[in-house]
Amino acid sequence: MSDPVLSCEGLTRHFPSGTALDGLTLDARAGEVLALLGPNGAGKTTTMRLLNGVLSPDAGTATVLGLNPWRQGEELRARTGVLTENAGLDERLTALENLTFVARVRGMDPEAARPRAMELLERFGMAHRADVRVQGFSTGQRKRVALARALLHDPELLFLDEPTSGLDPVATRDVVELIGSLAAEHGRTVVLCTHFLGEAGRLASRMAVLFSGHLHAFGTPEELAGELWSGVEVRLDLGHQADGDLLRTLTGLTHVVQCVPVEQGLLARVTSRDAVPSLVAACVAAGKSVYAAEPRQPSLEDVYFEIEARSARLGPTGDLPGVHR
Amino acid sequence: MNWTVIRALLARDLGMIRRSRALMLPMLFLPTLLLVVLPAAIGLSARERTLDVETFVNMLPESIAEPVLSAPPEERLIILVLGYMVAPLFLIVPLMVSSVLAADTFAGEKERKTLETLLHLPVSDRDLYVAKLLSTFVPSTAVAWVGFVVFCVVSNVVCWPVMGRVFIPTRTWMLVIFWLAPAVAALGLGVMVRVSLRVENTQEAQQLGGAVVLPMVVVAVGQTTGLLLAGPVVTVVVGLVVWLIAGTLNWRGMRAYRRNTMAARL
Ligand SMILES: Nc1ncnc2c1ncn2[C@@H]1O[C@H](COP(=O)(O)OP(=O)(O)OP(=O)(O)O)[C@@H](O)[C@H]1O
Ligand SMILES: [Mg+2]
Repeated sequence: MSDPVLSCEGLTRHFPSGTALDGLTLDARAGEVLALLGPNGAGKTTTMRLLNGVLSPDAGTATVLGLNPWRQGEELRARTGVLTENAGLDERLTALENLTFVARVRGMDPEAARPRAMELLERFGMAHRADVRVQGFSTGQRKRVALARALLHDPELLFLDEPTSGLDPVATRDVVELIGSLAAEHGRTVVLCTHFLGEAGRLASRMAVLFSGHLHAFGTPEELAGELWSGVEVRLDLGHQADGDLLRTLTGLTHVVQCVPVEQGLLARVTSRDAVPSLVAACVAAGKSVYAAEPRQPSLEDVYFEIEARSARLGPTGDLPGVHR
Repeated sequence: MNWTVIRALLARDLGMIRRSRALMLPMLFLPTLLLVVLPAAIGLSARERTLDVETFVNMLPESIAEPVLSAPPEERLIILVLGYMVAPLFLIVPLMVSSVLAADTFAGEKERKTLETLLHLPVSDRDLYVAKLLSTFVPSTAVAWVGFVVFCVVSNVVCWPVMGRVFIPTRTWMLVIFWLAPAVAALGLGVMVRVSLRVENTQEAQQLGGAVVLPMVVVAVGQTTGLLLAGPVVTVVVGLVVWLIAGTLNWRGMRAYRRNTMAARL
């Protein structure tokens, strides 16, 4: 496995108001989209600020692009691109000026920076407003300009804090596709904070779930699902909801862990895929018609909600997937 | 220090000042009143008739009364007001401009939510601070100096029929302009930096700053008149003291201006 582009260990940060991040340990590999998930106030933005050397930790270490973020911050930030939670554009400047200003600070050649900035504004559908002051822009328009600004110098590592919040559906799809292609085709590493689980599911190879500053799960959705639930979930279409007798019969089978009735059938959890034929056979033997049997991979959403539910029950020290203390 | 970065930041700040009416109006209003309207009015009224300032001047200390009274009666008003009284008032200009601009760049940056963007750029804490100092100090001093040139032209032109000679700048004025004005600009800046790092927004910065700066203005105006008359050596020494205080404040500001501290207050 290649060296991680980013790794941190025991990252901790307190504020007068409380602990924002407590002992965060994770890593990201080149070309990977790492999703940071968690409810409001979980510590996602704080994590980004720490990893880009903007905030200093109270404890813990990190290496980002082979650099120490707090001692080699300038060097690091020259190679990272950040989209902050609120776009942070200068209202008194035009869209284009906001970009060319950052290009100048980044030491880009002004001759090359302008066409590059225009190209990116075009890419995000903002070229027609390039020379308009940002003051009157909508939330989504600001976000597009800020995204263009984050990509200006073609950074190796991107920190994107809620990149699609406030965007319309078409722009959202565009941005999601862009993030995907940046990682997959251009080998860029993306740390993505988001509340949209669907988007995270489509993009992220691994997810880190934070709750009030604690890492509650870290891994691929499949890995986490494997640790959360044993076996495979199967949906059986019986044409009508399964009755109590059938559920009792099926639960009695050795390979079946759990059965719940759903509309038009039932959801069964079995120990492995190999158990599906015997499950179907048992239904047929009980005189039911089986119209379909679909093994279901849990989605990132399922994983997230399960982690959230278990965290609420177990608290931060409970035994949760992917986090090996 | 990385001058490419500092120049880029400076260009942005200066461009934004130029576009902001809230900044340009106070920057232009007081200097215009003090440096154009006042000398024009004094000059015009001196041309109309000779105002008797002798009674008033006799109440002043000997050192100021003497040079005024040694001039012909029709020149006395002009020499008294434009030669002596405006000089200390003039220091309000750099002081006020620098405190308005410092509040805007230090507290305003955070308020406009653009500070986080800057913190995520490859800019060192020191370069960021130096750029902000310059973007306050350069315009404050520039307004003072340009204002002074205008003041000289207006005064000499309007007063020509009475004076018949170029009577400004005097040596006193030169010291005020080139030695005291930048020092006072740096002082206003130093105070506002300290204030801005402690408050939440520009309004608070200006209110708190006003509470500190205004008494300074009163003291400055009160004392400078006496100082100027005490002679150039004392003026130079006092200027030096102001520079030292301003330098210390700004130096300590730079030490306090740390990314981590800024980010923790976003
Ligand atoms: N500068 C700060 N000063 C004081 N407390 C802070 C600061 N920054 C973050 N916190 C606190 O730390 C916790 C984590 O905040 P953070 O902004 O990292 O959350 P988040 O996961 O990004 O939330 P959201 O989804 O709402 O953006 C919160 O409880 C917040 O109040
Ligand atoms: Mg956040």
